[in-house]
Amino acid sequence: MTSSTTVGGSDVDPVSLLLASAREESVPEEFRVTGVMMQYYFVCERELWFLSRDVEIDRDTVSVVRGTNVDDTAYSEKRRSMSIDGMIALDLLDDGRVVEVKPSSKLTEPARMQLSYYLWYLKHVAGVEKEGVLAHPRERKREPVELTEEREKKVEEAIRGIYEVVTSETPPPAEEKPYCSSCAYHDFCWSC
Amino acid sequence: MDRNYHVFSAGRLERQDDTLRLVTEDGEKKYIPVENAEAVFLHGQIDYNTRLLSFLNKHGVAVHVFGWKDYYAGSLMPKRGQTSGQTVVEQVRAYDHPDRRLKLAKAIVEGSIHNMRTNVTYYAGRGHDFDEVIEDIDAAGERLESVTDVNEAMGTEATARKAYYSTFDAILPEGFRLDRREYNPPPNELNSLISFGNSLVYANCVSAIRATALDPTISYLHEPGERRYSLSLDLADLFKPVLADRVLFRLVNRNQIGLEDFETELGSCLLTERGRKTYGKAFEETLERTVEHPRLNRKVSYQYLMRIEAYKLKKHLLTGEPYEPFKRWW
Repeated sequence: MTSSTTVGGSDVDPVSLLLASAREESVPEEFRVTGVMMQYYFVCERELWFLSRDVEIDRDTVSVVRGTNVDDTAYSEKRRSMSIDGMIALDLLDDGRVVEVKPSSKLTEPARMQLSYYLWYLKHVAGVEKEGVLAHPRERKREPVELTEEREKKVEEAIRGIYEVVTSETPPPAEEKPYCSSCAYHDFCWSC
Repeated sequence: MDRNYHVFSAGRLERQDDTLRLVTEDGEKKYIPVENAEAVFLHGQIDYNTRLLSFLNKHGVAVHVFGWKDYYAGSLMPKRGQTSGQTVVEQVRAYDHPDRRLKLAKAIVEGSIHNMRTNVTYYAGRGHDFDEVIEDIDAAGERLESVTDVNEAMGTEATARKAYYSTFDAILPEGFRLDRREYNPPPNELNSLISFGNSLVYANCVSAIRATALDPTISYLHEPGERRYSLSLDLADLFKPVLADRVLFRLVNRNQIGLEDFETELGSCLLTERGRKTYGKAFEETLERTVEHPRLNRKVSYQYLMRIEAYKLKKHLLTGEPYEPFKRWW
C-alpha cells in the first residue's frame, strides 16, 4: 500500500487530507472517514466501496435490524452520544471512556479498529486523549481498548487503505468470507 | 419469499384492523395475510379507498391492476423501497453508451433464446421432432453474436421466438392453435393464454425491480418509454419460457384448462374467471418452486430468480462487473 497519493498533481497523504478536512482547513479534496467506514474496511473492502457509493440493499435484512436494536437499548442510562464534526459519532460512558457497543464478539478486530479510530481522531483532531471500552452486552463482555503506538500506526495505514478503496472506480472483487452468508449484500455479490 | 395474492372476483378490498379483507359482491369475506404479501393482483372490478393504499404502503405491498380484457393496467407501488440517484444515473449512462447498451440488449436476447431452446429440447426429448426448429433457433443465436445494433438484436429475438412458437401446435392438443402470435386483443385461446401468462411474468418483474433502486422505465433491449415499465419487458423476456409457457403446456396438456375456459366475443378470445383462477393458481405454485442455485449455495424460488436478475443488472451498472443473463441451468 502506498503511503501517499496524488491529488491534483501533488502528493498528499490521505492521513493529512483527513486531518485537514476534519479541521476544516482548505484541502484539494474533502476526505472523511466515519467509524463505520473504518469498521467495514476490516470486515470487507467491497462492502466499504458499496457504502461509499450509496449502494443500498434490502435494509430490512435481519442482521441489520438486530444491530440497530442492540445499539439503541444497551447502557441507555449510562451513556450519551456525541457527534463530532459530522465525521464520527461516539458514545461516552459516565466515567468519560468511549464505548462502542456491538451485538456480538464475532468481528472483534474491526470493532476494535473502529474504536481505535475514534480515540485516534479525538487525540489528533480534538487534542483529547481518552480510553475506550468495547462492549458486547448480549455476552456480558467488556474489553478495554487503548491507543498504543502500534494501534495508531494501524489506524493511519487503514485511513490510507480506505482512501484507495473509496476513490477507486470499481469495487474490489467479491471474496468469499465466513460471514458472507449473513451480509445484506450476499445475494448482490454472489448471484453472478 | 413473499407471496402474491390474486383477486379474480369483483368486490371491495379494504383494511380491516390490521389485515386486508376482500368483500365479494355476494357478501363473502376473505382475508389476505398482509405480512407475507409481496403483491396483490387485482383481476376483477375492485373498489378500494385511500385508507387501504396507506395500509398497503406501510407494509410495502404492491398492487398490480389488470383492467379491461385482463390487460395489465398499471401498478400502485409502495412509497417505501429503494431509491438511489446513483443507480439511476448509472442506468442512464449505460443506456446512453451505444456499446454498453448493445451488450446488455444482446445478453438479454441470448438468455431469452437459451430459455426458449430449453423448452424445445425438453419436448424434443418427449417424442417430438423439433430438429429443424432447434436449427433455426441456433441460427438466430449465432446471428446474434455479430449484430451491431439493438434493432437487429430485437430482430434475432423475434426470429427465434417465431421458430419457438411454431412448436406450440405440436406440443399442445387439438383445438389449441396459435396460427400467428397476436395480442391486443388475442384472437384465439392459445394467444389469450400466452398473453395472460406473459402479463403475470411482467408484473412479477415489476415487483422484482421495485425491490432494487433500479428505475423501471430505463431499459436496454426495449426502447424506454415504449410502454411504461420497459425494463420489466427486458427482464420478462428471460422468464416467459420458464414461467408462463411451461405453466401453459402443463395445464393444457393435463386438461386442466380446456377450450371451455374461454369466452369469444367481438374478435377477441379471453379466459373465463375460472380459467384465470386455474392459471393463476398454477402460476403461483410455479413461482414457489425452488431450485439449487450454484453460486448462492442454497435453494431459491423461481420468483426469487427475478429478484436475482434485478440485482445482477444493478451490480453490473454500479460496478462494471459483467452481466450474465439468466439461463435455465436445470
